Amino acid sequence: MLHDHVFWSAALHNVWIFLVLFGITNTVSLGIAILLDRKSRVRGVYRAIVFLPYVLSPLVTGFIWEVMLSPNIGVVNPMLRDVGLGSLQHAWLADPRFALPALIAALAWQWNALATVIFMAGLQNVPPEMREAAVTDGASSLRVFRHVTLPYLAPAFTVVNVLLAIYAFRAFDLPYVLGGPLGAPDGATLVMGTKIYGDAFGRTGFTVQTQMSYAMAEGIFLFTLLGVVAAILLLYLSRRERRVYS
Amino acid sequence: MSAGSIRRHRLASSLASHATLTVVCALVVAPCAFLVLGSFKTVEEFFASPFGLPQHFGFSNYRRAWSEASVSTTLRNSVVVTGCAVLLSTAVSCLASYAIARLPFRGRLAWRLLFVGGLIVPVQLIMIAIFIIMRWLGILDTLTSLIVVYTTFGIPLGVLVLVGFFQALPRELSEAATIDGASHFRTFVHIVLPLARASIFTVIILNGVWIWNDFFVALVLTTRPNVATLPLGILDFFGVYSTEWGLIFASVVIAALPVVVLYLLMTKRFIAGLTAGSVKG
Repeated sequence: MLHDHVFWSAALHNVWIFLVLFGITNTVSLGIAILLDRKSRVRGVYRAIVFLPYVLSPLVTGFIWEVMLSPNIGVVNPMLRDVGLGSLQHAWLADPRFALPALIAALAWQWNALATVIFMAGLQNVPPEMREAAVTDGASSLRVFRHVTLPYLAPAFTVVNVLLAIYAFRAFDLPYVLGGPLGAPDGATLVMGTKIYGDAFGRTGFTVQTQMSYAMAEGIFLFTLLGVVAAILLLYLSRRERRVYS
Repeated sequence: MSAGSIRRHRLASSLASHATLTVVCALVVAPCAFLVLGSFKTVEEFFASPFGLPQHFGFSNYRRAWSEASVSTTLRNSVVVTGCAVLLSTAVSCLASYAIARLPFRGRLAWRLLFVGGLIVPVQLIMIAIFIIMRWLGILDTLTSLIVVYTTFGIPLGVLVLVGFFQALPRELSEAATIDGASHFRTFVHIVLPLARASIFTVIILNGVWIWNDFFVALVLTTRPNVATLPLGILDFFGVYSTEWGLIFASVVIAALPVVVLYLLMTKRFIAGLTAGSVKG
């Protein structure tokens, strides 16, 4: 298994997914949560919409992205053409160069919902008096955010990023819907989850000879990796929690 | 700064925040709208104009999808499986969590870690073992096997949320009941459970949504069409009607609708329930 380059390429895809989503989560999702924390009459509507992807099945999400990116009936290519970026049109999911970015976009679209809601819950733990006191003392909004809001968000950062590690390394449903058990095209969307499934249960159902024990080995590797990543994140983030609280 | 410039500044920042949120919401809604509109289109309309509206809003796609994807069977299977699994796993989680949080016995921490540790076990890994066990038990390809597996997979999350809640309950409450002569079980049923309603609801929502939406477990454990769950039925349907886009769009809308309707009816409870479990104050 250690010499199986297909498995390593799948693992690398998981790492990419984690890194890109890590960046997006801690900037975009956090930003949306901060905007949603402001008082406004339509806040409830915004919240309901932002959170919607969470309740959609990965099957539905995967299908929506597949057809949007489709060169036949999709809307992404015509949209690019209409705004004068026709040169950027691609057969997204059929092109090995763009299939993984497209998969990551779909994962981000779905994951952002949960990340935003957890950050939002964290923001509700910031006592309003603290913020008001800082503002009265003449602190700029940036300083208020850095020294008052951010420390209270530490537990939310821990939860979000540990859940993200689990989400990114255990990904199965969306990659399966978009790329199938072979990670089409040409293994570009293969992740550890789909690779293990393919090895264990055959690439075309149950008719093909399968290698359950080999898949087990891969699964144990994934389990160990996930345990290590989650432990590192937990240790690092909880130490950070203690530091900002003291 | 004068009062006027502060007000202008506030107005500008509020406008900017509304504009940003509107863009974010559009990014979420547009794909969904594309899906719903597409479900009314004919194949020619798809190729004629990608952004165009359907000529008329008839339900012929839906009627065909309903009968040809055998939605009546798969919908019933999904309701039975999700209902039983959520009920069982919530009940087991409540009992286990109460024991871990309140009953005096050795090894409580170990039990807690054992239950919650289930959250990081990769489903792909454990499914291989489960497949072999189910074949050995002879219940492969039945709804029972799905219910058993989903019930088990729902327990770690239930224990995670509920142990935290039970531990936070004031001990005096149950002690008072014990002094009045109530058994552990009576205290649990009459005093603790009613107080835990909100947390139990959280567990029901979290497990209900993913069990309803999941197709991996069903994909591995079932092959017969009459035990397929809704997502699995739709997935098969993709393959059979891969070019009849309107039909497939309609089947996907049918699969998404039950949870989305429930969500829209109870948005506040959904979001509150989720956050109650994720970040404690």
